[in-house]
Amino acid sequence: MITMMRGMLTCRWAARRIQRYLDADPAALLDPAEVARLRAHLAACARCGRRVEEYARLSRALAAWSRVHAPQPQVLARVHQAAERIMTEDPG
Amino acid sequence: MTATGGECGNDADGSAGFRDVSNPAAHGTLARDQAFRRFVEPEIEVLLRVARTLTGSWADAEDVVQDTLVRAWKAVDRFDGRNRRAWLLTILRRAHLNSLRRQRPDLIVEATDLDQRRPAFGAVPPHSAEDDVVDRMLSSAVESALAGLDSRYRTVLLLVDVDQLSYAEAAEVLGVPLGTVMSRLSRARDTMRRRLRAAGRSDERRSG
Repeated sequence: MITMMRGMLTCRWAARRIQRYLDADPAALLDPAEVARLRAHLAACARCGRRVEEYARLSRALAAWSRVHAPQPQVLARVHQAAERIMTEDPG
Repeated sequence: MTATGGECGNDADGSAGFRDVSNPAAHGTLARDQAFRRFVEPEIEVLLRVARTLTGSWADAEDVVQDTLVRAWKAVDRFDGRNRRAWLLTILRRAHLNSLRRQRPDLIVEATDLDQRRPAFGAVPPHSAEDDVVDRMLSSAVESALAGLDSRYRTVLLLVDVDQLSYAEAAEVLGVPLGTVMSRLSRARDTMRRRLRAAGRSDERRSG
């Protein structure tokens, strides 16, 4: 019972850090001890491992969505032309 | 670069510089031109994507980015050269707020109401042509999941995971604290993760 409770607490601890671990954003890095503890937990916990897989799936799905919704080349070209115009006309 | 009496050299930051010793006004425009090409032009696509996320349409995004470019042009000679993206995103946010005020002059728009890379989750793998069908299928599932997401959460998710902004950059463009970006992002991803899981299950049931 105590072991199970401890495991649940670790899962909750891990769940709060998995996204920061995957992002490794410079503004919110985990410290090395947290990274080591999280990696050890992910290697042993199937449930948290599945959570990581689901985040990876979400990332792939958003990347696919992004490709389908990429800016049209003509829109991009028009904005670049606008930039050139600004430099030529010098609006102030 | 046709002014007479000009000379080329290297600035302290290592960039090629141009000094027109006979025409100070031309020197100012040339320096601004160089700074604009160096700091602003490389970010145009990112600005366009972010503006699309904020406005919800490419046409509005184009207008907001053009306004951003004009504002950046006017300010570029005062820009210190550090973190050009953060600087441009701040300008973009102002341009977006301005466009909202123009569209709805009766509306008092606060930066915090807008909420509607090191790349997140690691680099996106290279894409090949045969992935297009998979992209369309995934994209459709994402579209449905995104549609049900509160706009405050959806915007943060798109800024970080699609537009590839860092947490700090997303905070900058939305005018909210970093912690707000992180908590909204976490909630948005968890909601999306559960919805995509549910969508996957119902696909399996249909195909089974």
